[in-house]
Amino acid sequence: MSDLTQFIGSLPILSMITLLPLVGALGIALIPSSRPSTIRVAALVISFVTFILSLLMLPGIREFSSEFAFSEQIPWIPNFGITYHLGVDGLSGALVVLTTLLSWICILASFGPIQSRVKEYFISFLILETGMLGVFLSLDLFLFYIFWEIVLVPMYLIIGIWGGADRIYATIKFVLYTLVGSLLMLVAILATAFSHQVATGSWDGAFDLLALRGTISDPTLQALAFAAFALAFAIKVPMFPFHTWLPDAHVQAPTAGSVILAGVLLKLGGYGFIRFAIPLFPQAAQDFAPLMIVLSVIAIIYGAIVAIVQTDLKKLIAYSSVSHMGFVTLGIFSFNQQGVDGAILQMLNHGLITSGLFLLVGIGYERTHDREIAKMGGWASRTPVYAALFGFFLFASVGLPGLSGFAGEFLVLLGAFLVNPMVAGAATLVMILAAVYLLWLYQRVFTGELSPFLKGLGAKLTDVTPIEIATLAPLAAMIVAFGVLPALLTSAFAPSVAQFLMYAAGGVAP
Amino acid sequence: MNDLLTIAPLLSVGLTAVAVLLSDAITPNRKYAPISVALAGLGVTAWILLQQSGGVATALNGAYVGGPFVAYLGLLGAAIVAITLLISPDHLFARGYPSAEFAATLLFALCGTILLAAAADLVTLFIALELMVIPGYLLAGFAKRDPLSTEGAVKYFLLGSFSSAILLFGIVLLWGATGTASLTEIAISLTLLTTGVPPAVAVALALITTGSAFKIAAVPFHYWTPDAYQGSPTPITGYLSVGPKIGAFVLLIKLFLIALLPLAEVWIPVMVILAAATMTLGNLVALTQGNVKRMLAYSSIAHTGYLMVGIVAAGAGEASGIAGILFYGAAYALMNLGAFAFLAVIQGRPGATVQLSDLAGLGRKHPQIALLAALFLLSLTGIPPTAGFFAKAYVILSALQAGGLAAILAIVAVLNAAIAAFYYLRVIVYLFMRDPAETDVQVATSPLLRAGLLIAAAGTILLGLLPGGLIEAVVQALAS
Repeated sequence: MSDLTQFIGSLPILSMITLLPLVGALGIALIPSSRPSTIRVAALVISFVTFILSLLMLPGIREFSSEFAFSEQIPWIPNFGITYHLGVDGLSGALVVLTTLLSWICILASFGPIQSRVKEYFISFLILETGMLGVFLSLDLFLFYIFWEIVLVPMYLIIGIWGGADRIYATIKFVLYTLVGSLLMLVAILATAFSHQVATGSWDGAFDLLALRGTISDPTLQALAFAAFALAFAIKVPMFPFHTWLPDAHVQAPTAGSVILAGVLLKLGGYGFIRFAIPLFPQAAQDFAPLMIVLSVIAIIYGAIVAIVQTDLKKLIAYSSVSHMGFVTLGIFSFNQQGVDGAILQMLNHGLITSGLFLLVGIGYERTHDREIAKMGGWASRTPVYAALFGFFLFASVGLPGLSGFAGEFLVLLGAFLVNPMVAGAATLVMILAAVYLLWLYQRVFTGELSPFLKGLGAKLTDVTPIEIATLAPLAAMIVAFGVLPALLTSAFAPSVAQFLMYAAGGVAP
Repeated sequence: MNDLLTIAPLLSVGLTAVAVLLSDAITPNRKYAPISVALAGLGVTAWILLQQSGGVATALNGAYVGGPFVAYLGLLGAAIVAITLLISPDHLFARGYPSAEFAATLLFALCGTILLAAAADLVTLFIALELMVIPGYLLAGFAKRDPLSTEGAVKYFLLGSFSSAILLFGIVLLWGATGTASLTEIAISLTLLTTGVPPAVAVALALITTGSAFKIAAVPFHYWTPDAYQGSPTPITGYLSVGPKIGAFVLLIKLFLIALLPLAEVWIPVMVILAAATMTLGNLVALTQGNVKRMLAYSSIAHTGYLMVGIVAAGAGEASGIAGILFYGAAYALMNLGAFAFLAVIQGRPGATVQLSDLAGLGRKHPQIALLAALFLLSLTGIPPTAGFFAKAYVILSALQAGGLAAILAIVAVLNAAIAAFYYLRVIVYLFMRDPAETDVQVATSPLLRAGLLIAAAGTILLGLLPGGLIEAVVQALAS
């Protein structure tokens, strides 16, 4: 172990990462609203320091021999054995870094577009970051649930205050969908904990993921609790038919809201399946797997077909998200190494690529104040750099080999093929559909004659600014890096996948 | 002498009430003097209650049983009265209502709450109940020149007396049928029943259930609540929605979970239906309200339903149901008083009513007040990390432990929480997401009111982040 890793190991690094944005938000609350630029810079600094801390944490994950590194466990509500228990492994570590990366990118990307109630906006965003990081790092079910719900409130405000014309409808729909799922999950968490208390005669560890895995034997409880967890996560992913909140939320949210929604919030669902629902209730998960696979395939096909006919840029990308996230659940419920590797890769890649696309749509919207595809055309002739970047992210989203989108989808299809070739075949067809709607989009918006609408904007149609490039460059760099060397990632979370597969097969800890 | 020591909390509150009235007679022009005397007296009472939280002691020939249970509810009641005293003066003085009578009436009601918690027989229980609710009728009609307040008070009084009579009839029948007024002895005699439930006991059970349902405002016996709550001066509505409600649940604990516990199998199905109807109807009607006060009135009906989950769980043999009620009571008191205090703040002008649309844009004009309001609303919704979340989780956990019908009721309760989220969050929509309204809402805050709001807010957050201390207190309260 290097000195630095050792030093980091001696700190409560996970609490620092999780709580720094929250503390920063409280600090920003003390800055007067009349100084918006100070607030912006403070938020950027806080989120960037969080990002650096999360990078410093990364090397330690592989050097610790136990399953979860940097564990912190403090009794919190001793009467029920609820503890403040954090820990990180390769899987959550990767998602934590994705979160901290996208958070500062989003904050930077909000500098221009957010001009009203700047202080409240950045406070909300930083609280949101704490919530998301807490979900990825919690190993106690109760704590996990608290962070899961904390995510809800700032996102509700971000869509509802800084969103588009129909923002209130969209944000209430988002909250109610999520709440119905999560409240039933709360019942399932409590029932699971209680069954542990009955079985062992004590509340110790009743909410602890590590103590609970592999101990829940009652098949009824497994089925009901899995159904409740799965509903909460399926709404978040979102799986068909629980996806209808997503296009509304995406279209109405401000750019950074869409980015964080697609980049991180949807991943909470996939992560929940891998970390909680399946290891806790493996038997029920196996029973539900055919249904989940069918729903995943429907989502993949349906999302793609609906995306083709969209006339609004943001909505098109929102539906492509439904399709891409279908690959995640398909991979997870394949229950084999390829599928799960692919699902995790797909989560990370979707986080990078779709975030980039939403950023680009936002950049365009800043100039045109419109997202109607039919009004666009020939954009590339005026803003070549913007067009090139858009093209890059679109190709990544299509799954061009050499860019990161390819590896994830390919592995998922491989995993699905091992389970059911028909399913894999159907999903593969969609990769062609994706090429159709994404490339057709590029053709309609960027090639050909400059459209009258864009011409009318005259000099306002400028190319990307250095700040905007700064938000996109890290994403593009990672897309290339993980496209060329996906093993960088898969080797990092290989132990997590091995553990997951063991628990998913109904095994117990050695 | 020992008796006097045991009932010292009761005496302390009663003497404080007298002192409050005297202080007003001596210095009639100092409006804040009665409030200060009352707060000081509550402080002394709290100290006495803390001294008594160690062990059980009986007084008055066994009619009064002091101890940790009384200490917990007495402290909770004292806290409710204290917060009410802090948040009310602005509102009352602006409308020219007297403060000494107000403070003294609240203190007499607190006597009733303490006696209710300590009562060990039917007679004391009924007297305590009346001692608690009669001041409530006075308070509801406190704005005597306001026809709405008078209407609400008359409805409250008539239906309250009516339900007391029904309850009393049931109590007398139960006494006659079992031959004893002691709660524990009634339970013993009911346990010995071998040939089914005799008709007299069955009728008694029906009457007691009906009377109690009126007192807690369970559907379909809730009709008095919205009018009584809407008509009363806002801070008083805050008190009425928590103080007498928690007291009424103590009555339910005594009657159903001590005296009638052997008949749990008979009353549980009824209670389950009442609870499900109460939370569902309360929430559905709250959805349709445009007047914020009336919306909060219906929301308090819904919370009655959640509290009843604890009664059902405890009836099914899961003692943590009572613990859940006690915890929920504390959380509910803080967040609901806070919500009503917020309403009182923005009702600065006499005669103002608050419609949802009046709240538009308040988050811009008065961000701190709006933020506190959002906290209370999120807690009422049950979003962590607030007191309201943990309270709900506690009650639901007890119902899951009880299993059977109680577990189904738990599912109904969480689905209701999702319905409720819609109207609580709608208030937040108006506060933060809409442009400021044309009509300018006046915001009035005095140091006292701010202190009351901050205490409620701090408690709401603290019980959410660190519920362990209160859980320990609740468990202690039930240990005896």
